[in-house]
Amino acid sequence: MTSDETPAIACRNLWQVFGEGAKTALGEALARPEATPETAAQALHEAGFMPAVQNASFDVRQGELFVIMGLSGSGKSTLVRCISQLLPGTDGEIRIDGENVMGASKKRLTDLRRNRLGMVFQHFGLFPHMTVAENVAYPLKAKGTGKAERTARAQDVISLVGLDGREGSFPRELSGGQRQRVGIARSLAVNPDIWFLDEPFSALDPLIRRQLQDEFLRIQATLKKSIVFITHDIAEALKLADRIAIMRDGKIVQIGTPTEIVLHPVDDYVREFSKDVAKGQHARVASVMQTDGSTGLGPDDPGLTTSMTLDLALAHCMKLYEPVPVRDATGAIVGTVQPSDLVAALQVEES
Amino acid sequence: MSAAGAAIAPLWRLSMGARAAFLTLIVGALCLMLEPVAPWLIKWPTGWVLPATDWVGAGLSWFLDAIKPFARACSAMLSYPMDWANMALNGTPWPMVIGLVTATGWYLGGLSMAALGFLGLSFVLVSGYWFQSMNTLALVAVSVPLAIIFGGILGILANEIPRVKSALQTLLDVMQTVPTFAYLTPILILFGFGPVVGLIASAIYAAPPMARNVMLGLERVEPEIKEAAIMSGGTRLQQLFQVEIPSASSQIMVGVNQCLMAALSMVIIAAVIGGFNDIGWEVLLTMRKAQFGQALLAGMVIVVFAIVIDRMSGSLAIERQRHDIRIVWAVLGIAGLFTALALLSNSLPNPDDLTLMNPVAQAVDQSLTDFTKTNGAWLDSVKNTAMFYGLLPLRIGLDNAVLPFTWGFSWTMAMSAGLFACAGLAGLLLAWRGRVTAGLMLVILMGMLETGIAELPWPFVLFGVAALGWVASGRRLALISVLLLGTILLAGLWERSLLSLYLSGAAVFACAIVGGVIGLVCAVSPLAWKAVRPVCDMLQTIPLFVFLIPVLMVFQIGEFSAFLAICAYAIVPMIRYTRHGLVETPGDMLEAAVSSGATGWQILRDIRFPYAVPSILLGLNQTILYAFAMLVIAALIGTTGLGQSIYLALGKADVGLGISAGAAMAILAMISDRMVQGFAEERRRALGL
Ligand SMILES: Nc1ncnc2c1ncn2[C@@H]1O[C@H](COP(=O)(O)OP(=O)(O)OP(=O)(O)O)[C@@H](O)[C@H]1O
Ligand SMILES: [Mg+2]
Repeated sequence: MTSDETPAIACRNLWQVFGEGAKTALGEALARPEATPETAAQALHEAGFMPAVQNASFDVRQGELFVIMGLSGSGKSTLVRCISQLLPGTDGEIRIDGENVMGASKKRLTDLRRNRLGMVFQHFGLFPHMTVAENVAYPLKAKGTGKAERTARAQDVISLVGLDGREGSFPRELSGGQRQRVGIARSLAVNPDIWFLDEPFSALDPLIRRQLQDEFLRIQATLKKSIVFITHDIAEALKLADRIAIMRDGKIVQIGTPTEIVLHPVDDYVREFSKDVAKGQHARVASVMQTDGSTGLGPDDPGLTTSMTLDLALAHCMKLYEPVPVRDATGAIVGTVQPSDLVAALQVEES
Repeated sequence: MSAAGAAIAPLWRLSMGARAAFLTLIVGALCLMLEPVAPWLIKWPTGWVLPATDWVGAGLSWFLDAIKPFARACSAMLSYPMDWANMALNGTPWPMVIGLVTATGWYLGGLSMAALGFLGLSFVLVSGYWFQSMNTLALVAVSVPLAIIFGGILGILANEIPRVKSALQTLLDVMQTVPTFAYLTPILILFGFGPVVGLIASAIYAAPPMARNVMLGLERVEPEIKEAAIMSGGTRLQQLFQVEIPSASSQIMVGVNQCLMAALSMVIIAAVIGGFNDIGWEVLLTMRKAQFGQALLAGMVIVVFAIVIDRMSGSLAIERQRHDIRIVWAVLGIAGLFTALALLSNSLPNPDDLTLMNPVAQAVDQSLTDFTKTNGAWLDSVKNTAMFYGLLPLRIGLDNAVLPFTWGFSWTMAMSAGLFACAGLAGLLLAWRGRVTAGLMLVILMGMLETGIAELPWPFVLFGVAALGWVASGRRLALISVLLLGTILLAGLWERSLLSLYLSGAAVFACAIVGGVIGLVCAVSPLAWKAVRPVCDMLQTIPLFVFLIPVLMVFQIGEFSAFLAICAYAIVPMIRYTRHGLVETPGDMLEAAVSSGATGWQILRDIRFPYAVPSILLGLNQTILYAFAMLVIAALIGTTGLGQSIYLALGKADVGLGISAGAAMAILAMISDRMVQGFAEERRRALGL
């Protein structure tokens, strides 16, 4: 059994460099005196290699929904393909529940994929010659599960994604949204602990996308998987994520909760992402409240809680000037907020 | 020294093509000038020829002898399925065979396909060639599964092991250029006379398209589908057989279709070995006896088979709802009932006695005789004009071809000088207008016309080919071409090679012009394309062999007939690719041109044509390969050159000559292929495609 402290996925100094003889080139570039990841990447670029993932380090906790975001070509897919070992990774370490999978045997990887990992693809990757039911049951078939059992299990996940009645259809007969539901169902067939989703909703139109996002959250609420979710859409990232990693040209430039990303972007690149989102809808009261008791409490208690968005909180204390208490989910007072701080927080960007 | 340097300096400022052309011109001129003192410059002396053909023969014979016992065992083993297939097809009463084909047609393509199958086989029945057809079909039925398995395994191996892939690619490229007859001689020696030779030859010949399509299909499976299979936890074998191969099935079915067509074509060609009473043999026999009506009838039977097989297997590649299985049973039931009734009442006609078409054949023969009798003079004049004013000068040069007997005067030195002077002037004019390469090429071509392709000095050919190769793709191609051509020279196959080059060159030239124009017309007028397209489809489905019949009927044996047969076969890709290239211009480019105020003609010349050049070059490339393929078949009706050598070698079971001449042919085809590809590639890059 894995203890709760072991992260579901731990990535340390992960590199993926494309090109003939990349491994030696990376080794040499890193072995140079005073080499930093930046200079190494620069040297590799100049030598004609493509360092698509550079020195990535992060943890995904058990049950966490970890979103990787970045522009097209920033290396998101490459990163997630390294973790799932669809790409070998050039250097570094990937631990899944504490077990290093870099360079694991084929047999071990097959085993992992049959029991622990699931993946959803941007363009669905459905098998054109199989029906919906067969597609969904395929991972079980590969594993050698008996027919009756796999049909029953496939039926369960098909119901879970709301595709009852379409079991006999072929992928070509489905709409885009339905196809991705099949992709999701298939990736859930073996009931994996770790779930990779590579831009699962990007190929869909906005309405269907929103619908699938909501359903995805509903499924996640019941299943509680550890998830790596890729997107280039900030709104989607903020809506879904527990934490977000932002990638740029192969590097992870910031990792943080949605609020941190929105309120404290580390550089212009990240700021550019969050520019168009209404901060008040994403940042929570918890991010601006004071917990050291340095400010006294005013007379009013408009009923703020830690998980309220700034917009909502502001609406509650529009007319107040004195600090107000903030309660947690149980109703205990855990901090205070100066209403003017709420306004200030919303205006960080303009400064 | 410095003066010479200064004189040469401007030369290096010319474009690459102009430089190459200039140097080639100098080499050619030198050769011509030095001819009196050094005749060996024109003709490779026989004393310098290495008996390479004999060596190849000896080496191969030794090798073939070594593996003969094994081969004979194979052939003994193969004779079983052969006999079974024969028995099955010939033993089944014909109404059942027709019923089966019709039912299959229905299942694959519905009513129209069923009708095609029914009518096609009915025609075969009444033609009186039922048994011969079933024999041919039996050969195909055994060779195709062999080719599919063999080709499929090769394709899968290539997909799994990258190193095998590049080796296989090269092998397939070579096999595509080796002429069909060349396969037959070693197989003949290995496996002995008899139908097994045709069987093995066609299995070998039909495997490459299968391998190619399997490879292509597997390569084209969407990466995400492959990844999904991996992430589903499949082992490599599961991924391959449960996901990748089924996903690639339509491309693989295209392979099956091509495999069938190739097998049919080869089975018919293999009839020249004789020893098996199949439909190809029937065509040969009747052709030799000058019974053209019958030959045409047998040829039609082949065409019918080709079309039925092609359309039915072609519909395999299109994913479509299969048709109602109940009708299949109904058709089979009716056929069975019919057979049973006929057998019971003892009135099932023997297909051999069915000669409904014989009167037609005789009528065709008769009218043909009449036609040639009444139009003989006219036809002869067509043929003679083409020969005397076209093919012959191209072959032996104006200096030898212009005779009082044909042209009304004889060629003199003064005329040569005049011709060169004119060409030189025109060339200069072009150069002065800035088109140096074109000017130089004009002079070179005039020189070639004066000398004749078959009599070109070998240093000039080597140098010219090297120059072309260099311009087309670089030093590597130039070097390889010279080395390969040098081998031909040393092996003493040079003159025959030039003869082959001349005839295929003439055919390709004619195809390029005529096909290009037809393609252009089809691109401009959809109506014309509607008419031309079925003809193209038809010409591409017909096995090579059948092309010989009509030309032979009208123009008898000879080079001109061979020329026509080659043209008829090789023109199709030129038409298709020209039209395709011209039609496929991106819409936004056209809109930009229209909004700039270009007229239709200007758009064609300035936008469509340049954009279509790579496609047209690819068409030319295919045309060249087709021409070489047909050249060897055309040896049956009288050509000189390599094709004839290969054919003769087959008759004498001379492996050395057969393989050497086949290799020479393959070398020529390969060099032209690479060069045209090189030019096409260069154009594509220039256009940023
Ligand atoms: N197999 C490969 N060989 C060479 N370069 C590659 C390969 N795969 C990806 N790359 C390069 O790595 C970089 C990152 O690609 P990746 O697909 O990870 O981007 P991405 O962030 O997923 O973009 P998108 O949002 O468009 O999917 C790109 O510049 C790409 O060209
Ligand atoms: Mg991606």
